[in-house]
Amino acid sequence: MNGSGHRFVDHTADVAIEVWAPSEEALLVEAARALIAVLTEDACIEPSDQCTLDLESTDEEDRLVRWLNEVLWLAIGKGFLLSDADISLHADGLSARITGQKEASDRIASEIKSATYHDLRLAREPSGRYVARVVLDV
Amino acid sequence: MGTNIKVQQVDEYRFRIPREGKMRVPGLVYATEKMMQDIRKDASLDQVANVAHLPGIVRHSLAMSDIHWGYGFPIGGVAAFDEHEGVLSPGGVGYDINCGVRLLRSNLPKSAIDGLLPELSKEMLRAIPSGVGSKSHRCLTDRELDEVMVQGSAWAVDAGYGRASDLEATEEGGRMRGADPDAVSERARERGLPQLGSLGSGNHFCELGWVAEVYDEPTASAFGLEQGQLTVMIHSGSRGFGYQICDDSLRTMMKASKHYGIELPDRQLCAAPLQSPEAQRYFGAMACAVNFAFANRQMMTQFVRDSLSRFLGEREVSLGLELVYDVCHNIAKWEEHEVDGKQRRLCVHRKGATRAFPAGHPELSARYRSVGQPVLVPGDMGRYSFVMVGTERAMKETWGSCCHGAGRRMSRKAALKVAGKRRIFEQLQSQGVWVRSMSKRTVAEEIPEAYKDVADVVEVIHQAGLARKVARLEPLAVVKG
Repeated sequence: MNGSGHRFVDHTADVAIEVWAPSEEALLVEAARALIAVLTEDACIEPSDQCTLDLESTDEEDRLVRWLNEVLWLAIGKGFLLSDADISLHADGLSARITGQKEASDRIASEIKSATYHDLRLAREPSGRYVARVVLDV
Repeated sequence: MGTNIKVQQVDEYRFRIPREGKMRVPGLVYATEKMMQDIRKDASLDQVANVAHLPGIVRHSLAMSDIHWGYGFPIGGVAAFDEHEGVLSPGGVGYDINCGVRLLRSNLPKSAIDGLLPELSKEMLRAIPSGVGSKSHRCLTDRELDEVMVQGSAWAVDAGYGRASDLEATEEGGRMRGADPDAVSERARERGLPQLGSLGSGNHFCELGWVAEVYDEPTASAFGLEQGQLTVMIHSGSRGFGYQICDDSLRTMMKASKHYGIELPDRQLCAAPLQSPEAQRYFGAMACAVNFAFANRQMMTQFVRDSLSRFLGEREVSLGLELVYDVCHNIAKWEEHEVDGKQRRLCVHRKGATRAFPAGHPELSARYRSVGQPVLVPGDMGRYSFVMVGTERAMKETWGSCCHGAGRRMSRKAALKVAGKRRIFEQLQSQGVWVRSMSKRTVAEEIPEAYKDVADVVEVIHQAGLARKVARLEPLAVVKG
């Protein structure tokens, strides 16, 4: 949590998020929180339930997009809204134990079609901080 | 942000991007000099140039006058690829596969609903499932979804939504060939099952309007349109089903681009050779989404017909409410075009662009073959939309394509700021437009100021000779998602 944050950047037709965190795992969690904030218009999510997910990816940037689309699917397809996650990164993907709220479809207030590869960036700064930029198609 | 791309003005409405670096063909943008100043503020021209890098692209990378920044391809982008050397790129179709629009005419004059707009607009909101994650009145079974994927509008008509005559007034007859349900993921199916027959959100809408002005009487008449008449427009696409198919395809296509050695200036331009199994699989899945969107708009057409009939206490047949046409904005299609005097089979990608075939084209149904294809260009919810007709010039220059709509000029964030505490609904009502929505925020993001003036977009297309103005429609009651 410490040193993590996100902001929304102006983008003509969609929503661009910039995220920063002290580690890549924390970065992924922060990006997921930002997506849920867009989806629910900043609703408060109770950390009352848990679930797990695994995914495969080809590189770090692909992993970020895949992760966000899985978080999106959990929300819109399963009604489970993420509030936090414990992530283990692998060479070809990740595993995550996700905390959040189930049966929470009624908290969803806006539509996100997908996290996209548009203008996608994920990098480690010389300071050690991780930064990323992702555009959500809304 | 901005761009450093060089352009050369060809004439008042055409700008060329000369071939440079790894571009295989030049770019051609339809715009005025004034519009170009705005266009240069983001990276859309870079995107036009990027598309020109793709293998097998024929003649030029095109952008219509509603050009703006998209994913890989610009919105308003059109590109055709050789069947042997060329590629298929999901970014050239978009997430909302077969987002499109249809127009219904009616036998009613505008005066028939004088004083009824507040209640009528409420009734339309009730009748058409809309809003975030909107679910239809019915959830499809797996078997029905299989049929929808292959039969498109025809499934809907057979299921009691609409008339057989609607099919000949729909692009592709409402049913694109080549659909392959096996190419569609389980997740896409899960997203699609509850959503067929729903508007969705964002810039989707159902709009009751009227024909405010006719520019071309004979063509308007052939389309069944006359000044003062009530119309209905429905703008929607393939919902979560299509978005998922696009997302699924990008992963495959990124791997394929590497495998086939396709150099990508932008990851979202990922593609595979048209003859490859990857491209054929995406095409099969895309066609399923195309058909889903046709069936979606077809179902909502019947919801509108039922709703108006009930509200006005008149039988549907006396209201008319015939389908004028249904066009796709986001699609890739196999078409025959003349290139250097020879007929060639090309895969034409239209991403936020509309097919605009001329009179005489064999693809057009008998109803329009002597007139030309109706082209529908929706504007924002406050001002106007246009009906146009396709021309020979479009066939020669743009693979029979033209613009699709107004295009945003302001981000959602900026629109929310501008909308601020303004009483948007009341302001629009004072202009005679009743907007209903499940979300005030969506309406704020969709304020007229957030959009370019579609009249400017259409004027370029008209003056460039790609399509001719036929009529101007103005909104009366709008259901927004």
